[in-house]
Parts: sequence; structure tokens; C-alpha cells
Amino acid sequence: MAGHAELSIESLPSAPAGTPLYVHLPFCVFKCHYCDFYSIPAEGQDIPGFLATLEQEIAARAPQSPTTVFFGGGTPSLLSIEQWQRLMAVLEEHTGFRSSAQEITVECNPESLDENKARALLDLGVTRLSIGLQSLRAQTLQQFGRVHSANEALEAFRAARRAGCRSINLDVIFANPGQTAAQWRVDLERILEEGPDHLAAYNLTFEEATPFLRWLEQGKLQALPEELELELAEITRELTTAAGLRPYEISNFARDGHACHHNINYWHNGPYAGLGPSAVSKIGNRRGGSARSLPLYQKRMAQRGHALDWSETLDAQARLAETWWLGLRLTEGLSAREARERAGFQDPTDPAVPVAERLVQAGWLQRAGERFQLTTKGLPLADAIASEFFSTLVPEGTANPT
Amino acid sequence: MDIQHIRNFSIIAHIDHGKSTLADRMLELTGAVQQRDMKAQLLDDMELERERGITIKAHAVTVYHEKDGERYQMNLIDTPGHVDFNYEVEKSMQACEGAILLVDAAQGVEAQTVANAFLAIEADLTILPVLNKVDLVHSRPDEVAEEIETSLAIEATDALHVSAKTGKGVKEVLDRIIERVPPPTGDREAPLRALVFDAVYDEYRGVIVYLRLVDGRLHKRDKVRFVSTGSIFEAIDIGRFQPKMTPCQTLEAGEVGYFVSNIKTLGDVRVGDTMTLASVKNPEMLPGYREPQHMVFADFYPTNPGDYEDMRDALETMALTDSSLTFEPVTSDALGFGYRCGFLGLLHMEIIQQRLEREHDMDMIQTAPSVTYQVKMKTGEEIWVHSPGNLPSPDKYDELREPIARVSMLMPAEFIGPVMQITTDHRGVFVRQEHLSATRVQLVYDIPLAEIMYDFYDKLKSATRGFGTLNYDIGDYKADNLVKLNILVNGKEVDALSSIVHHSRADARGRAVLKKLRKEIPRHMFEVRLQAAIGSKILARENIAALRKDVTAKCYGGDITRKRKLLEKQKAGKRRMRQVGNVDIPQKAFLAVLGGDEK
Repeated sequence: MAGHAELSIESLPSAPAGTPLYVHLPFCVFKCHYCDFYSIPAEGQDIPGFLATLEQEIAARAPQSPTTVFFGGGTPSLLSIEQWQRLMAVLEEHTGFRSSAQEITVECNPESLDENKARALLDLGVTRLSIGLQSLRAQTLQQFGRVHSANEALEAFRAARRAGCRSINLDVIFANPGQTAAQWRVDLERILEEGPDHLAAYNLTFEEATPFLRWLEQGKLQALPEELELELAEITRELTTAAGLRPYEISNFARDGHACHHNINYWHNGPYAGLGPSAVSKIGNRRGGSARSLPLYQKRMAQRGHALDWSETLDAQARLAETWWLGLRLTEGLSAREARERAGFQDPTDPAVPVAERLVQAGWLQRAGERFQLTTKGLPLADAIASEFFSTLVPEGTANPT
Repeated sequence: MDIQHIRNFSIIAHIDHGKSTLADRMLELTGAVQQRDMKAQLLDDMELERERGITIKAHAVTVYHEKDGERYQMNLIDTPGHVDFNYEVEKSMQACEGAILLVDAAQGVEAQTVANAFLAIEADLTILPVLNKVDLVHSRPDEVAEEIETSLAIEATDALHVSAKTGKGVKEVLDRIIERVPPPTGDREAPLRALVFDAVYDEYRGVIVYLRLVDGRLHKRDKVRFVSTGSIFEAIDIGRFQPKMTPCQTLEAGEVGYFVSNIKTLGDVRVGDTMTLASVKNPEMLPGYREPQHMVFADFYPTNPGDYEDMRDALETMALTDSSLTFEPVTSDALGFGYRCGFLGLLHMEIIQQRLEREHDMDMIQTAPSVTYQVKMKTGEEIWVHSPGNLPSPDKYDELREPIARVSMLMPAEFIGPVMQITTDHRGVFVRQEHLSATRVQLVYDIPLAEIMYDFYDKLKSATRGFGTLNYDIGDYKADNLVKLNILVNGKEVDALSSIVHHSRADARGRAVLKKLRKEIPRHMFEVRLQAAIGSKILARENIAALRKDVTAKCYGGDITRKRKLLEKQKAGKRRMRQVGNVDIPQKAFLAVLGGDEK
């Protein structure tokens, strides 16, 4: 047997009709210093060439009638209106998403979103815009390597509103080096005054292979003390709640009816199909991702008709542990029965229940009817709590790469 | 080969003085190994040996050398060079008539050289001093020859000068062995008597017995008996190490070779035993060997309690290849079922631990090594305590005695001051001081063995800029004001973390141990309280604050696999941990009770 068996498209089953769809558009004006998503500076790139390849992938792999569609990146708003029109037409032709999808989101950055662009996207069926605002402080935006000002960000939000968008998310980051509690309070109040329908507020993470992690290791940046990070997270929950945005996931807050369906599916450990470089699909018991480089993505598509780069099979125990991990991130939590159903776990004895009950005893989880939820005390320790499920359910590690 | 044309010899040397290199050159020179087949230090065949540059098991090799038109069989018995393996050095010497005393002409006589040379003198061997590395610019052969004469009373004016690295002078060494080392004595017509001087376990062939024939002959297919155990085996294969195992039909008195039967366990072969023909009635035993002295004891516990049986199998297999390892079952409140193992010394312990992990894939927790204490009970009974956790409570005994080592240290004279300071810090008692030459001094101290177990050697090395060397013998047991230092984790005493320390050091040691534990034990979802105590008296406290924050901010479809792997990576770190109560204690923490940095 060859040491590196060629992965074929058959190693992921094709996505059944109704599977939520993610499309990755990797281009950015400039890559932010903290970002570990796959993105590349747009300048000099053959965007039409990429879109042509993406169209092939849509034809080959996009599920029929997806229930949600999410264009992420990168900076999807960087595409021109004409490019969007063509992409959406091709997608509609192959999937019929305009009548099936209850939510169609496009991620935008302030420098590439004006009223025209927003209106065009809405005309193409987009229901939700997600804007990377990140911070209102010039110094912080500069530290992050953002290419827009605070005013441009606010202006982009207002333009989206003027264009008629009725569901807008703002992405913000807190706990950046140097931030104080007072600063964050002022900034977040100001942001919430704009009246977003949804807020994704992320505690800054020093991700692998980012300039931020390098600077941290070199001592050029200092992470905030843990106590302050916890305080900032507290402030976030307090102010969003006061503004009518309910925390429904660890980093996500929404007005009623505006929680992101596409993302909730991830936390329900549901199936999804991902197109574009680095995009991940989960179909049945299999998960796999496409090449995390544009040239390789295009080469694979040209040679093999798909760009799958890795895949793994998840056994029942691993699926159950993942389901608890992801499900507990949601404020609603999950019941043991829901976990088994989502994981496709058939065994009559449920090994997760004793773990959950032990965690209730210890005060990390609480019960709300059938459901288990993180307590206030458990919330900042969600990963440590998830580890308890993993170490009991899959002591020797989880998936086998194929 | 007639007995007059056989020479049996070993090479004794301090670590790094070039013993294995000299052996390699001899193999090349005599054509036993083609140069292109030479791997450096061919005789060190275990991965670990090569990595650490030390010889662990004794090895034997037969080469043929011509002198004045006559052909001689030369049996070289390679010996280990570390203080922990003196026992094996003794064994190999009993199979020889001569020894090359190999001394680095730049480094000079070291403590190990002295110790091994005395072993050779005791074994009545003819000793040939050889100065190695004479090609180095800073070599000082004349001074070193003088050191040999002063420290060992061995005539060294005509010591051979060699460079084992380049091969210069190696032929002369072989010639001199023929000239000066006497041929073996022994009666080839008498009934077979052979000395078992080593045995190794081979996965495919079972136990391979290393023999030195003293009297008589051994033929293939002979039925033989090991005298002390009485077990009988057939000589399925016999032969010589050239250096590969080369079968032959007959081995004769004076020769060195191997014996293979279907011996599945080393329990049937006692190193030091005498082999005779099965037909011989009432055979006379050859003078036996001293049993190995176990200086250091430590407990091994499988990280996963389910691996207890596997650990026993692994230890049994290791004991097949290492006759100086002992083990017995032990139970700890904190760590469950495991094995208490006896070692020749700390290096031996470390090697066993690494071999268990590498060769047997064991995940285990090892307690800090301990010496054996002697306790005089109020009842008048004397008991041995191998583990601090087993020490009876102080009201039950009159005296707690510890082993004292007589430590001999050699160093350039300018370092006497700092070395004396170190020995005083380790409760050393001065015995004597001798000048070996104008620049080299020997200091002899009595120091509690427990005090030299951990970092004493490192301290000596750094205080003497690497020039100091030491060797020790275990002497008497002496009573001192010793106390048991208990460590409590969240109020629960952890027996595997307790230690026996001198009363005057208990405070500082307790503090130092807690500081180390605080570094080693990861944060938990709750606060972990650490205490050091003598009886109910708390000497020191440390707290490990509860983990407050451990949460992934972003977790979407594209992140799940990667983030899950991060969670698993943290968990993998837990593999080498043991739960005591509900606290995960990593392997390294169990070694925290060892001395060091108490100031």
C-alpha cells in the first residue's frame, strides 16, 4: 500500500440536499496581525481565475437547497458587484439556494462596503451582513493591522442599514494588549449605541503562526492578566444584555430572532459543506478540509476535480464528546438525548451522562429541565470542562485520519 | 589453541579515557572487523549505550594477534566504567589474568581509575599502565605516570604511549600483553569448570551465557549443569565472540566464549555460578562473586493502573538482561500498586527507567530514589526501611540509622577549598587528605549516602571546573537526627512524596519541595493546597490558584478539528500524571523531593 494514498472525493460523501453551505473567499486588502484564517492580500491575485475554479467546485460539490449559506473569508465584500452577480447566479443555478436558504450571510470589511455594495448584495438574496469592526480605537486598529478607521467602520454599518439590511452583525475583539476595563466599557457602549442586531465579541487569542503570537513570544506584546480578561468578558455580557442582545454562545450575542442559524448548526454538531480553499465539510461521520493555499487549491481542482487535503472519521464516542463540547458553548446547553441524536450515538448506555452529572455536582454545569448548561462559574472554563468529556469518552484520542 | 598462546585481559579506565576506542582499534588491527564495517565503539550495542557514551553490559571479544611468528588468542573483556557498575567490573576481572590500566595523558588519574585499579589488584591481575591521547597538545604523560605510581603504587615508568584515536601504539599494547600477562592456568584434562561471568538475554536465542573456561573442555551437545541452581542444559550452540558470535565445536580451558541453550529465563543462570558437565558428581565451585549491592531504591508505578501486569512482565524481561536489578511488589496509598526496585546507583536507575519507557513503552510514575535506612525499634528489633513512606512513627523506634559512604575525591589542588565547602554542606566528615603529585589531591570524606545521591556529583564537577572525580564505598550505618518530612496535597498526605531528612534541613527542604511542586503541578479547576510537615507540625505552605480561564473564543466549522486537537494535546500532557485524590500530579513532581536548591 502506498504511503500516501491519494485522497479522492469519494472519501467524503456528497452533501445531501438541505446541508448548510459555507463558501470561503480568501482575499483581503491586508492580512490582520492576529488572524489565522486562510487569507491572502488581493493585490496581484487572479481573482477571476479563482472564481472560475470556485464555480467548478460549486458544480461538483455544492449541496442542493442549502438551509443556510455563509460567505466567509478573507473579505468577501472585496469582490465587485459584477463578480457577486455572477457567483450568485452560478450558485443559484446549481443549488436553488434563494428559495431554500433562510439565512444568507456575507462577511464584510469596512473598506469594501458601501451603500451600493450592500444594496447589490441584498438584491442578490443576502439576508445578513457581518462587518469586521473590531475596535473603535485608532491605536488598537493600527495594532491589529486594520486598514480602516473607526469612522469608516461606523459608516459601513450605517450604509448597510441605509441599504435596507435588517440583520447586521458587528465583529469586535477585546483583551488586546494595553486595553483597560474602562476603555472597553466606553468602546462597547459606543458600538452598541449603533444598534447592531448581533455582536460577535472575541477575547483576543494569540493563534499559532500569526505575527501576534510571534510578538508575544518576543515580548513586544503583553497578554492581559487573566483577571482582567475575565472582567472584560463580564463587561461584555453586562452591556450587551443591557442593550437587548442576549448572549447565546460564549462569544455571540443577538437580539431575539437574530442569532446566526448557520453558526448554531456548528454548535449543534450538524452537517455542513465547505467550498473554497481551507473550507471544512462535515458530512455523516466524516470531516475533511480543502487545501489551505490558493495555488494548491487550484492545482488540485484542475487535476482531480476536488481540493480535499485532509479528512478524518469520527467514531461514536468521539462524536458524542464533540457534541457535548460544542453544545455546551450555547447558552441553551443540551440534553443527553439531544447529544445522542446529534452525534448519532446508538449505544443504550450513555457514557457522557455520568460526566455531566459529576460536573453538575462540582458546580460547573447546571440543569435546566432536561438540558445541561454551563454555570456562570463554568463559562470561562468551557474548554477544561470539555476536556472532562474527552478524557472519559475518548481517552486514547479521537479521530483516525484516513 | 594451546593454553600458552591465550591471553585474557580487560581494559580499565575512567569514563571518556578512550577504552571503547582502544578496543575498536584492536579489532581493526587484528582484522576481526574490516575498517569499513566499523561503527565507532562497536562494542556498545545498545542504543542507550551509544547515546550516553557509556558501556553498560560487559562484552567479550576474541581476536588473534601474531608476535614473533606465533599466533595468540587474545580475549578482551570490555567492562563498564561508571561507579554504579563496579560489580560488573569485578565479574569481568575474575575472567582475566591481566588488565590494561588506560589513563588519559591529559586528564590524569581519576577517582574511577583508582577504584578500578584496586579492584584489579585485588583480583591479582597483572596491570599494564597505558597512557592514551598522547597526541593531544596538552597531554602530560610524565606527570601522569608519576600520578599512577603515587596513587596506585604501580610501576609506570615504561607505560606505553598510545593514541587510540589514530591507532598509534596499539600494536605495542597487544605485544606487551603477550609478553607480560601470564597465560591462563588450568587443566584441560580435568572435568569441566567454567565461570559464568555475564549473561544477556536475546529475544531469539534466549539467554546467552558468557563463559571463561577454567578447567576441562566444553563440546557442542554436551549436557552441562549450573552448580548452584542444579539445572541441566544441553550446549546447543557454543562459540567465540569474533566479535560476531562464531560457533565452534569445542571450547577449552583458558578460553572465553558463549553458551546457548534453550534457557528462557535468567533465573536459571546465576552470574558467578560454575558450569560443569552434568555427569560430574560433587563438582567444586569456583570462588563465587559478591552479590550486587543495591544502593538506591525507587518505586515505579504504572501511570495507568491497568498496566500493572505489563510492568511486571517488562521488569522480568529487564531482569533477564540485567542481573543487578531487583524488584518486588509495593503498594502506595497515593499511587496504588507498583514495584519497588533496587539499583546499583542513580545512573543504573535512570537507565532502567529509560529502558522501560523506550523498549517496553511503559508510562510510569517514579518516586524519588531513597537509600535503605536501618531502624532500631523500641522492641529491640532492627528493621530495614527502603521507602520513607514505610518509616514507623517516631515513638515506635529508638534510632534511625542511615548508610554512610566513604567518598574519595580527586582534583587539582586549587579546588580543595570549594570542595570542602560542598562536603560540609552535605554533612560530610573529613577522613584524610593526600597529595598524589604536586598538583593533584585526594580528599576522603564520610558522607551520608542520601546526601550524595542527587546532585553532589554535579556540584563537585562545577566546583572543580569539571576536573574533580569521585568514587565511593558504602561503610557503616550511623544514627543521626533524621526526621520524616511529609507532603500534604489538599490536606491528604502523599506517601510517595515523603522523604527522610536531617532535622536541621527539614525546614529548608520542605520549602524547597513545595516550591518545586508548585511549579510542576498544573493549575486545576479548584485551588490546590500544598503543605510540608513533620508529624502534625506544618513547616511550609504553598497554594496553586485555581484555573480561572480556559475557553476558546472562536469555534466554528473550520476550527473544530484543530481546536479539538489542542484540547487533546493538553490531555496528552496528563498521560504522565497520577491522580491523588482529585489532583493530577505529574511524574516530574514525584522527583521534586530530591534535594538541591534548598537555600
